[in-house]
Amino acid sequence: MTALPGPVLLLSTGVTGLVVLLLLSVGGAHLARRRREQRDASRRAALTPLVYNLLDGEQTAQSLADAPAVLDDVVLHLLPQLRGNDRQVLRDLLVARGVVDRAAEQLSARAPWRRGRAAMLLGATGSTRHTPDLVTLLEDRSPDVRSAATRALGKAGDVAAVPYLLAALTTFRPVPSGIVGMAVLDLGTPALPALRTALDSGTASARALSASLLGLHGDLPAVAALTAALDDPGAPPHVRRAAAGALGRIGAPQAGDALSRVTVFAVDPALRQAAAEALGRIGDPDCVPALAAGMSASDLRVRTACADALASITPEGRDRLRALGALDGPAAPAARAALDAVSSAAPRSLAGAS
Amino acid sequence: MPHVLVVDDDPVIADLVAFRLGRLGLEVSVEADGEAGLAAARALHPDLVVLDWMMPRMNGLEVCAALRADADAGLARTPVLLLTAKAQEPDLERGFAAGATDFVAKPFSTRELISRVTAALPPGSIPA
Repeated sequence: MTALPGPVLLLSTGVTGLVVLLLLSVGGAHLARRRREQRDASRRAALTPLVYNLLDGEQTAQSLADAPAVLDDVVLHLLPQLRGNDRQVLRDLLVARGVVDRAAEQLSARAPWRRGRAAMLLGATGSTRHTPDLVTLLEDRSPDVRSAATRALGKAGDVAAVPYLLAALTTFRPVPSGIVGMAVLDLGTPALPALRTALDSGTASARALSASLLGLHGDLPAVAALTAALDDPGAPPHVRRAAAGALGRIGAPQAGDALSRVTVFAVDPALRQAAAEALGRIGDPDCVPALAAGMSASDLRVRTACADALASITPEGRDRLRALGALDGPAAPAARAALDAVSSAAPRSLAGAS
Repeated sequence: MPHVLVVDDDPVIADLVAFRLGRLGLEVSVEADGEAGLAAARALHPDLVVLDWMMPRMNGLEVCAALRADADAGLARTPVLLLTAKAQEPDLERGFAAGATDFVAKPFSTRELISRVTAALPPGSIPA
């Protein structure tokens, strides 16, 4: 066997030593992390009953003020799952432990993840004291922070934030409509007056989102304003479509005339489709003639929506579909397809649904 | 002493519910998924099942329907309280159709949960 020359031997020994050192340090880090996790888990297990005692009124927030930091993990995990007095007790504990104040300080941190995390924490604690700070973050340079601040405002439960949330749809750095919508839905029915105001006087995006949310809430007092928005030819098409969808969700038969007019005479096929779908949801037999007229539309989406709507109005709508299906012309295939869909619909399985 | 089976895949929630019900003087068992929950119900014959809806392996509705369809008439009549974030109108319909006795919507109040557990158990069965 040939002996390795001195420098090569030295180099290979050095490399081997470095590899061993690296492996040892990785192993050590893993071990340390595992120990830390085990220690945190055992601390959590020891502290969790104290949180339960606190909820039971057998422990005060002050007595847990100096408990280890892992207690906050337990509280922050429980907080969104509880409501009422339980939630207030946990909020008070976070205030007593200085968690809320520390999070408020972090809202201006340099790192976006710190700002976003602080915003989410303040939202989870339901702290309305920090609404102005969270509103400022709606224009943060980081889209993640803007989204976090938006959701936090919804979780915090301060309805004063609604106009700011709706304004965030159209700023220089806008927040996506879906995220604003979820935040406003989190605020619940107390947000309805602000949504009604925005439907009348907001930007087009705010009007469209307000209309959709009012529909999701089934807000009867908004029916007149929604009908006016639907009937306004000068309103942007997406606002009118949202108004139509909302009226259908609310199930407002008093909007039947306006929805019928739009189904038959509007220019935008998507709007006609939305109006026809709304009529189907409302299910008023008086709207059958308008839906039947919509069946002669040149756009297939409109004909299909009208046919589906007629199929949901029994027996008048289905009778009209049978008549249309028996004739020649563009309405017949859509009419027959809608009737086939109704007749082949299987009964819904309840227990197997997830 | 009435026996309550709590089935929830969130251990913190399951522990909290078990803790509060234990304080009432009830005997409490906990399982972390639907399949184990159903097996425990068949083995233990609890007086009440507190059931999460969204769980791994078998969801709460499937467990509920399986209990209602059980050959053991006593088990099939066990009250089931669904503790769930799915508490919109259509969810309630599906839950009751699957055989749920009552709902507690998440986020929940432990006071409300205790009231509903008390109402679901036979009168006077909770120790004073």
